[in-house]
Order: sequence, then structure tokens, then C-alpha cells
Amino acid sequence: MKKEFKKLMVIGSGPIVIGQAAEFDFSGSQACKSLREEGYKTVLVNSNPATIQTDLDMADSVYIEPMTADIVAKIIEKEGVDGIMAGMGGQTALNICSELAENGTLDRLGVTLLGTQPEAIAKSEDRELFKETMEAIGEPVPLSRTCTSIEEALEAVKYIGRYPVLVRPAYTLGGTGGGIAYNEEELRDICGRGLAYSRIHQVLIEESVLGWKEYEYEVMRDHNDNCIIICNMENLDAMGIHTGESIVCAPCLTLSDMDHQRLRSASIKVIRALGIEGGCNVQFAFNPENGDYRLIEVNPRVSRSSALASKATGYPIARVSAKIAVGYNLDEIPNKVTGTTYAAFEPAIDYVVLKVPRWPFDKFRTVDRHLGTQMKSTGEMMSIGRTFEEAILKGIRSLEIGTVHLNRIDDSDEELEDELLHATDRRIFAIAEALRRGWGVEKVSKLAQWDAFFTTKIDNIVKMEQRLASEKMTPALMKEAKEMGFADSVIASLTGSDELTVRKERKGMGILPTYKMVDTCAGEFDAKTPYFYSTYGHSTELVRDKSKKSVVIIGGGPIRIGQGIEFDYSCVHSVMALQNEGIDAVIINNNPETVSTDFDISDRLYFEPLTLEDVLNVIEAEQADGVICQYGGQTSVNLALDIEKALEGSDTKILGTSPDDMDVAEDRRRFSKLMDELGIEQPKSGTGYSFEEAKEIAEGIGYPVLVRPSYVLGGRAMEIVYSTDELKTYVETAVKVSRNHPILIDKYLTKAIELDVDLLCDGTDVFVGGIMEHVEYAGVHSGDATMVLPPFTLSDKIIEEVLNVSRKVALGLNIRGLMNLQLAVKDDKIFMIEANPRSSRTVPFISKATGIPLAKISTQIMLGKSLKDVGLGSGYKTLDHYAIKASVFPFLKLVGVDSILTPEMKSTGEVMGIDEDFDVACYKALIAAGNKLPTEGGVYITVNDEDKPNIVPAAKSLHEMGFTIYATKGTATYLREFGIPATTVFKINENQGMDALGLMRQGKINLIINTPSLKSGAVRDGATMRRIAVELEIPSMTTVNGANIAVGAIKVARSQKISVRGMKEFHR
Amino acid sequence: MANNYLVLEDGTVLEGEAFGYDKANSGEVVFTTAMGGYQESITDPSYCGQILISTYPLIGNYGIMDSANQSDDVWVRGLVVREYSKTPSLMYGGRTIDDFLKEHKVPGISGIDTRELVLKIRSGGTLKGAIVTDESKIDSVISDLKRMPAPSEGNLVAEVSCKQAYSIDNKKELTVGVIDCGVKNGIIDSLSRRFNLRVFPYDVTAQEIMDAKVDGVMITNGPGDPAHPDIAKTVVRTAKDLASQTAIMGICYGSQVLALAMGGETYKMKYGHRGTNQPVRYNGRVYITSQNHGFAVDAESLDGTDVEVSQINVNDGSVEGIRHKNLPIFTCQYHPEARGGPLDTGFLFDDFGKMMEARR
Repeated sequence: MKKEFKKLMVIGSGPIVIGQAAEFDFSGSQACKSLREEGYKTVLVNSNPATIQTDLDMADSVYIEPMTADIVAKIIEKEGVDGIMAGMGGQTALNICSELAENGTLDRLGVTLLGTQPEAIAKSEDRELFKETMEAIGEPVPLSRTCTSIEEALEAVKYIGRYPVLVRPAYTLGGTGGGIAYNEEELRDICGRGLAYSRIHQVLIEESVLGWKEYEYEVMRDHNDNCIIICNMENLDAMGIHTGESIVCAPCLTLSDMDHQRLRSASIKVIRALGIEGGCNVQFAFNPENGDYRLIEVNPRVSRSSALASKATGYPIARVSAKIAVGYNLDEIPNKVTGTTYAAFEPAIDYVVLKVPRWPFDKFRTVDRHLGTQMKSTGEMMSIGRTFEEAILKGIRSLEIGTVHLNRIDDSDEELEDELLHATDRRIFAIAEALRRGWGVEKVSKLAQWDAFFTTKIDNIVKMEQRLASEKMTPALMKEAKEMGFADSVIASLTGSDELTVRKERKGMGILPTYKMVDTCAGEFDAKTPYFYSTYGHSTELVRDKSKKSVVIIGGGPIRIGQGIEFDYSCVHSVMALQNEGIDAVIINNNPETVSTDFDISDRLYFEPLTLEDVLNVIEAEQADGVICQYGGQTSVNLALDIEKALEGSDTKILGTSPDDMDVAEDRRRFSKLMDELGIEQPKSGTGYSFEEAKEIAEGIGYPVLVRPSYVLGGRAMEIVYSTDELKTYVETAVKVSRNHPILIDKYLTKAIELDVDLLCDGTDVFVGGIMEHVEYAGVHSGDATMVLPPFTLSDKIIEEVLNVSRKVALGLNIRGLMNLQLAVKDDKIFMIEANPRSSRTVPFISKATGIPLAKISTQIMLGKSLKDVGLGSGYKTLDHYAIKASVFPFLKLVGVDSILTPEMKSTGEVMGIDEDFDVACYKALIAAGNKLPTEGGVYITVNDEDKPNIVPAAKSLHEMGFTIYATKGTATYLREFGIPATTVFKINENQGMDALGLMRQGKINLIINTPSLKSGAVRDGATMRRIAVELEIPSMTTVNGANIAVGAIKVARSQKISVRGMKEFHR
Repeated sequence: MANNYLVLEDGTVLEGEAFGYDKANSGEVVFTTAMGGYQESITDPSYCGQILISTYPLIGNYGIMDSANQSDDVWVRGLVVREYSKTPSLMYGGRTIDDFLKEHKVPGISGIDTRELVLKIRSGGTLKGAIVTDESKIDSVISDLKRMPAPSEGNLVAEVSCKQAYSIDNKKELTVGVIDCGVKNGIIDSLSRRFNLRVFPYDVTAQEIMDAKVDGVMITNGPGDPAHPDIAKTVVRTAKDLASQTAIMGICYGSQVLALAMGGETYKMKYGHRGTNQPVRYNGRVYITSQNHGFAVDAESLDGTDVEVSQINVNDGSVEGIRHKNLPIFTCQYHPEARGGPLDTGFLFDDFGKMMEARR
């Protein structure tokens, strides 16, 4: 039965990082809803503004504050919280709760930890305790020893008896700093890193179970000791590849019932031994030779796997976990899907679910693509099919990596073999290719350590390719190909046709997708929840109530760098706005982590790839009245024109800005023409179809120039080049320039201020939601830049002008809904950089900072309301507080990525610092983004000549606060002239005496202020220093503005005058 | 590949690919929601007389292994799947379910939209049906099906029960008499880990059992209607006679038999419980159980008898177990021996042991 609490706190997981993505927005939001349903007062804390859970109406009080134990303690005290839900915010929330428990805060404030208890956290996270606990219940774990030094690690290997061994750091996310060591040298290397990353400076050296199979169980337990398994999952890739990096299917397919029951029983023993109440994930290694197993890991909380299991089965793990945490037992909690049964059962599914990770290697071309125990993927997608082949091919289509099939790869046989042996993101393509080359299932399975069962499924796909390419098309063949998940476009290319012709032919044969329901019970009970997937079956279960209008929102797909949770946020808001108007909101998406794919959100959810075919199928099955393409990021914008073309003559309309107007914004020529007509200046630019042409254009415009290939979107392979030599290198290495693939060249505005503007337009009025000023100069991708809302250095005149330009462009592009503009200000002149006719990455940030729900209003506009109707009209939202957006980066996890910020986006997520005081807002943002701001110690300053005068105030402040200033010769000399004592150190490449690197390693440098000179090569020279700074977690500022902000923040940190404030207090 | 047809009494005809043994067969069409354990299901004698649909679309994925058999034969009259694996995982040897069905002369049909069928049965109840190999016979089969009595109306237990008594000496303290109504190997194994066994055909008398000096009696699972007149004269009668003489445990069909013996009634369920995920509330706790039954005990019919409902299904409130108010007699409607399914309720066999100990 339910316990009494005055106020319950749910702790979120902070910014999106590798290993912790949108799944915790999903679980935290579910928890909030679940608790409020029970009548509890709730408080939510999360530093990430791009989340649904930080919406004002998700909890009684919402705090967007840094996720540190100190700050959380302040909120607990202020709000009078007496219960905390720790298990909904991933490792971040668990760590905060552990800390609050350890330092006595919870006891002092009389706060109960609900769900996962500190002992359970310790028992599952502390390797030694975990081992002891498992040994006590007779469950086998790999031989291992805990080590706190490299010497101990070497001893541990002797005890285990052989290499390879696994190195697993304690208390880190997604295996940060871990690895497999095959010899002593590697052990020293990996172990050194692992110790540094571990919160308690501890690593585990462990017996290798490489090559064993990996199975996972999602278990739930309640206070009454009732235990159930929600789902089991099978990793297609053998042990040695992190489960987050592996292709995973649910349920397990190759495990006999007897072995499944052994693992199931073991999972239940484990959750009981750990005393977990709520959800928990148990991972096993299973020896296919003899059936031995080892317990590998337990996550004592909801996780990415539990989000996947929730979406895979329809069983809402987080929602039920929250109810259990407040005292309900499983048989007291109704199953929302059926409405007639209870949460105390085990879901039965009647389809195949696959998860495929999405890796950022398209962005980070220099990163080692090999997969191992360290997570590198940023997101994942899920696909559902009635055959394995269908699930796989839908999965590949959902990845949005420029291929809709297991395409050919042109590796040599040797390269292919190496790919199979040492997996990268391309392995599944390599498996298909090897089978195409006739290597046979047996050999390929052996090389890739895949179960032949799965390899055969890929072989079936390859054989179907051959049949399609050679046989005459018949309805039977078409049906078979569709049942295996082949896309129309793939059938077209194999049969020498085109996609729309195949589509027509197929429909002519009466071969149409059917939609089946995800109902937790394999059809045993009547289900209420409209959660569908397509398959080529005999009958469809979709029944459309035509008395209500239906509008389809195209989602954003898997989370990747450049397209994150922000787009999901907007999709969800659009759903809410549609429902508010009495319209059925329909979501198509395939990201299992997100809130938009919670079947509780939309009126109908379709778990589908986001290709033209799959989207059109849903639109047709729905007989939709409208389609919204503005919220799913570039994914949905890219589909707009094709959807409109395909829908010609039907009753379904694309809502909002017309696809043609969207195209004007996307198409350089059309856009430039419009800007000329509107009298808005753009940086000079040109298109080069050969190196010579490019060179001519660049010299005409004048270096530096911004270059990028024309055929990739979103800043990929975009660089600033400072000379013809650099241009040559770029053309030779980064992109191939040709008649078909020209490169685009823009004047790079040096030291310009960049602005992001998000606005609403209804065709008559334009409402500017916010102008965000970048702290870094133009040239840093807006997804990476630190942003300040409202602008902090611009004059009123410039702001007025920005508003004018924004209005002109919005009206000129006939925007109906949202638009994002990126502008540069240089010498008081405004330049248009780019216009995005859609909901942008900054929409949630502005909405949170201003209290105006831009995405909802945008949907209302699309439905025909005017800005005046919603009480806004033309205008600009001014604020009496500051909101700072800071980004978080994956540099620690992705070795080989330079941490310098460039036009190419590198960050995975963002945080917001919000306060009335500018410095405090900056402090909050910097801390929330994980910067270790020093309050004392040393600062290393090296700035270019132009910046020298401007850096003086910051240096002076730091000196006055007692920091030791280290500087390179030029900077030091300059600072001394202003009475600031500075110790001269050598540049790193001077290779002599005391250099900055040495000081950093000695821990003498705690902050770096480095503004590289704007000339060829200078940026690259600092790479070593930046890498070390990343590894030692020393904050680096690369602009004068950045330095000033850091200094202001350090002052705040020293004064510790930091108060917390709920979001409602900002928007009263 | 040859085609087969699945034909239902309501006139539904579905075309699929034939696998298993090449023959036509009819039965009562039921579905199981178990995602694995297909071999355990089809060799379970309780499925005698039935054509089984698997709701999980991929069947046979991990192959066939001797240790999974629940009897020496395949008892389903046909198997209906979306897809069967022609190339199973090699982890357990890689033998196909196709071969296994061929060997046991049972037909299968694949390529069926099994979910569609399940929804039909869910809304309309269990149907009679047939696997037909010859397209031209479909119409006559439909009219035959309409006229044909449900297989469960026959005495199916007689088909599956052992023909002669046998003993299994496990060098244990206690000896259990097993009334074999179609016992699964899983029950024999679970009992054998704890007791010595004397297994009897279903038509054994109480006297014969008591003469064998048993400490308790297990009435097992089995197919068909427990209210069949032949059963009233045999197993139900025997149970009644044994009630005051020894400890008794009933599993599944055995539970229904005991309810009848104690004066209760049973009824045919709309589409039964078949799967490995059924939640049962027992002594304040919830257990996930393995089930396979189309008949159930009527709770109200127990009013005024000496037995009471001790376990119920969390989903639909149906009777999952009864116990005698005064005597050492208890039952469960589900399968504590699992095979396939969860092992959560194996403790019931220990409870049975304690009951026998106490009575000694």
C-alpha cells in the first residue's frame, strides 16, 4: 500500500552524454506522471532544458539547476522534500544520492531514499561487494580482483592466470575508461586511464569471457518480494562488445527454455540479494560450448535497456518502478495497456525487436571505429518485425546513415575478414558482404562470433537480393521480399526500376503493409493502447475513428550529434497542442529512448523507420488530414518535398510552412536570391566544381574561408581554411570535389559575434522568442557554442536591427510556425548565415528560459490560428534574468577527437544555467556542464596579439583572487606591463624547460585561457594541450568572452552565494 | 514447397506452407503465448486433441533436444506457426522441428498470420479446425468440422495415460503414487528429485494405490474435460476414495479432478490459459506460472464443500488452486514443474513432501 510523503523529488540525469541519453527523460517523465497520479506533490531537478520532464507542468516544482549534491541539497531543504526517487536519472542521479547519503544530508534533512537504496547501489556498483554478494548466493561471476594501482593490476593478472583481461573502472558511465588488455603494455595503459576516470580511483581486473554469448534480463521486484521478468534480450555480438554497442534482439531467440529459466531464476535471485525494489537490469555471459554462465553486471535502476524493454514489450518499467517505490505491489498496479489486467505478469510478445546503435563516426572521422567495452554510440533505434529479416532491414533504414539496406561494401577480402574479426560500426554490412562473396554461414559466423542462427538470417536477405536481381517479378516474390523487410527502393534498384514505380506495382498486387499492435500479451487480452508497427501480414488491426481528425508528426529518429533530444521535445509539444485542439496526434518515430515513443503520449504511435516509404504507408493507413514535418529536425524537413509530391491529389496536407518555402531556405541559390531581394547581407560565397575553381573563389573572397561539400548536411566536413595550401589539403583529404560534388565556399567572418534567433510567424505577425548571443566567435557550430539569452554585449540598436532582419526573413519565406536564424554581427553589420524553417535545437532552451511554449504555439499556427489569437502578436520577449546554454562534449570517451570547437558540431548535449545574476547563471551553466571550476590554483594564459589588451581585466581579477598566473612569453610580458605578475612558461612545441604540459600534469594549472591566433596551423598546434586538458579535466576557455565568463563564475564559486530557484518563480 | 491449409469450423481458410509430416489432421485450435519451450509444449500430453498455434512468430530457433521432451511422443494434432526455423542455432545440436514433427507423424503449417488467428479465438472462443493438405477437400472438411464433436468431449486421458503401472525407486524416504492422466516428464522429474514413485494408469483404484504403500498421491495434468463420464467413474471416484486416506496433490487436470471429487464443478473456458506468464496470487504473493488448460474449477461451486479456493489468477480471478479445509489435500491449476516456463513455484513439491511427512 501507498506510503505518505509531503513531497517527492525526482532527480534527472542532466545533459545527454554517451552512455546516458534520452531514456532518462522518458523514465523521469513517466515517474513524475506516475507519482502525481497518486496525488503526491513532486519536485523535479535536471540541468538539461531539452527535456520534457523539465516542463513546468510535469511536477509541482521544476528546477533547472546543476546536478551536484550541494545544489540538490539546497533544493531539498527549500522545498521540504522528504522522499527522493534515485533510480530514474541514471548514474548521475545514483551518484548524487550516494553522496547525499554518505555525507549525512539525507539523515540530517530526514529524507527517505525511495526505490533503489544506497546499499543496493553499493552492492551492484562496487565490484568487490558485488562479487561477495553473488558468491554468497552461489551465482558465478568472472574471476577478478579490485585494484587501486597498476602494480595491483599486474598481480591480479597473475591470479587470473592469462591475458586478455578486462579493465573495468568503478562508478563511471557507459564503461568510460575501460578496455581489454591483451598484454602488460596494454594493461598499464588502459589501467592508468581507468583509475583516473573512476570516482573512487578503483578498477576491476577480470577474467575474460570474450566470445561468450551475452544475454540480459529486465527484472522487477516489489516490497512484497514479488519478482517478474519484463523481457530478456540477446546481444548478437559476443561478449567483448559493450551491450550499448551491440545489436540486440528481444526476446532471446537462441536460448532453450531450460537455459532461459536458469538465467531467469538467477536474475530473480540477484535482485533479491541486492534488495532492489523497482526495475533492474542483469547481464549474463553464457558459454555456448557448455552452458556455463557468469553474472557480468547489474544496473540497480531503470536504464537504457529498461527503456528499450519498455518500448519492446509495452510494459512501462519506469512508471511501475515509481509506484513500487512509494509502496504499491505489482498486483495492485493496473496494466495500462490492457486496462483489465495488472502489472504483475510477464509480457508476452509476438514479434521480433531489434536495437541497433547509432554511432557518431560520420562526424568524427578521426576516431577509432572499433567497438569494445567502451561505449561510443550516441543513440539507438528500435525496429519491430514479424520476421527477423524484417526487423533487421527496418533497423538499417532507421539509422539514417545514408543507406536503406545492407549495402555492398568494397573492402578487399583481407579488409573484410579484419572487419569481421574486429568489429566496427560496419560489421553487419561486412557480414552481408562476406555472405554475398560466398564465404558461407559457417565461416562468417566463426569470424564474427555470431550465432549461425542470426548469420543465416542475413544470408536469407542476401539470397533474396539475388532472387530479385535474377528472377521475374511475381506477386509471390514481391510478397516474400516485403515480408523480409525489403524497401521498395531496394527492390527497385535490384530490379532496375524506381521506388515509386515499385510502390505502384506492389499496391497493384494488393501487397500492402498491415499494422499490428504492441499489447504486452501477444493478443491474449483486448488491448487499449494504440501502439503499432508495420508488417506484411494477412490483416491489419488499425481501426481509424474518422469522426476525429488525425495529424501525423514525423519524429527525429535516433539521437546523434546534431540531432538530439531537442527535436523529440518539440514533437511531444506538438502532440500536446494537437490534442488540445481535439485532433488525434500521431507519432512516427523509431527511437526507443524518447518520450515521443511512449505510447502514453500520442493518440497513435507507429514505431517505424523514417523513410519516404515507411512514412507514406502510415499516412495512407491513417488517412491523415495533416502531416507535420517541422519538428523532427533535418530528418523530417528532408522528407517534406517528397511527401508533398507523393500526396498530390490526396486530402492530406502538409501543415505549416510549405515544402517549397522550406526548400527556398535549404537551397543556397534560391535563398541568396531572396536575401538579395530583402536587402539582407550574406557573407560572400561561391561554389567550386574543381580545386582550381575553389581556389579562385577563395582568393577572390579572401581567406579565411569556410568550406564544405555541397552534398552533406548539418556542418559535416565543414572547415575553416586560412590559405590555399590548407584548401588543397582539404580538397585532397576531406572531400572529393567534382562536377557532381562541388564544394561550397563562404567568407569566414573573423571575430564576428554569432546569434541564434528562434521565432514564430503566422504570415502576418512575427514573434521573436529569443535572441541568443554566442560566447564563442562565429565559426563555432551553434550546437556547440555557449549561448547567452538575452544578448549580453549587443547594443539596443543592433538588437532592433536583428529583430527587423528576422521579421523580414520570416515573412519573406512565408513561414507558418517556427524558424531558426543564425546571424553574425561584425563591425555593427548583420550577416545572414543560415535560416532553418523548422523547430531548432534551441527551441526547448528558449521555451524554458522564457516560459513561452514555442513548439505548442507553432502547432496552433499550423492549424490556422494567428499569433494574435494566442495572445502574442508581433513582438519580442524580454527577460529580467539570464539563461546560459553550455554544451557537453564526448572528448573523454572518443579518443582522437580534437576538443577545439569548429563549424562541425561535436557536443552530445546541453545544460542551462538560469539566474537573475549574470555571473551566477554562468557559474551554474559551467558547473552543470561538468566543468571543474577552480577557486584557487594556477591559470595558464596564452592569447593572440589582438586579444592581449582585452584579456587584462580577466587576468587581473584572477590575480587578485590569488591565482598564480602562468603565461607564454609574449602574454606574460604584456601582463606584467599592467602590474600582473606572471610566470613565463614555454610553449609545448618549444620543447624546453618548464612547459605548460608539465605544469598541467603536476596539477599546477587549473584553468586554461587560450585564444589561438587566426592563422594557418595555429589551431592544430594546441591539440596536445587540449587533449591533456580534457583528460585532466581542466576547463579551457578559447575566447576573451569565455574567459570573462569563467572569471565571473569563479567569483561566484568563491563566494558560494548561490541560491536555487524553481522555474515557476521565473515565469510568474 | 507444398501448401497446406488451415481450415476452421467458422469457414476461415488460411493458406500456408506445409512442414512436418504430410497429412491432414483435425482438432481443437488453441494458442499458447509462450515465447520458447515449443518442444515441451508439443510433447505435453495435455495438448492431445489440439492443434496448437504459437503466438511467437519464430519457432524452432534453438532446435530440438532430447532433454526437453515431456513424453515420448508429440501430442498436438498440428502445429501452426508464422515461421519455423530451417536452420536453428547450433548451440544445442541444430536438429529441426520440421524433422521432429516428421518423425512423430504430425503436420505443421507455417506462413500463417498467427496473430490474426489469436485475435479471432480471443473474441470468439476456441474453434475446431483442421490442417488440410488437399485444396479440393476444404469445403467438405468445413462441414465435417461443424458436425464433429470437440475432441475434448472424448476420453482423451485414456489415450495418453500409461497402460501399466511402473515404479521409479529414487532411494528417498517417501513414496508417491502418481495417477497418470497424461503426466509430463517435468512432473516425474520434480517428484523424482524428492520421492520414490509408483506410477499408475488413470483407471487405478484407491485400493490398488493404498496397497502399494504410498505416502501420498499426485493426480497429474492431462487432456480433455475432467467432467467426462469415464473420468467420473475412474479418477474422480479414486480421488474421492483416497481423500481421507492419504495426502493428495493435484496439478492442472488433477486440480479439476479433485474439485469434482470434493463436490465442486468445472467449466470450459472461452479460450483457456496457455503460456508461461500467468500471474497467480497465493498466500499474499504473486507467482508467475506456466499454464496449459482449457477447463477450470468453478469457484462458486465450492461453496458448501470441504474445499476452498487457495490460489487465484491475478488477471481474470479464475481458480488457480484449491485446498481441503481439514485434510492434507491441495492443488494448483498451473505447472509448478515448469517445462517450459518459470521455476518459481517448485516449492509446492516440497510443501507436498512436508504434508506427507506430517501425516506419517
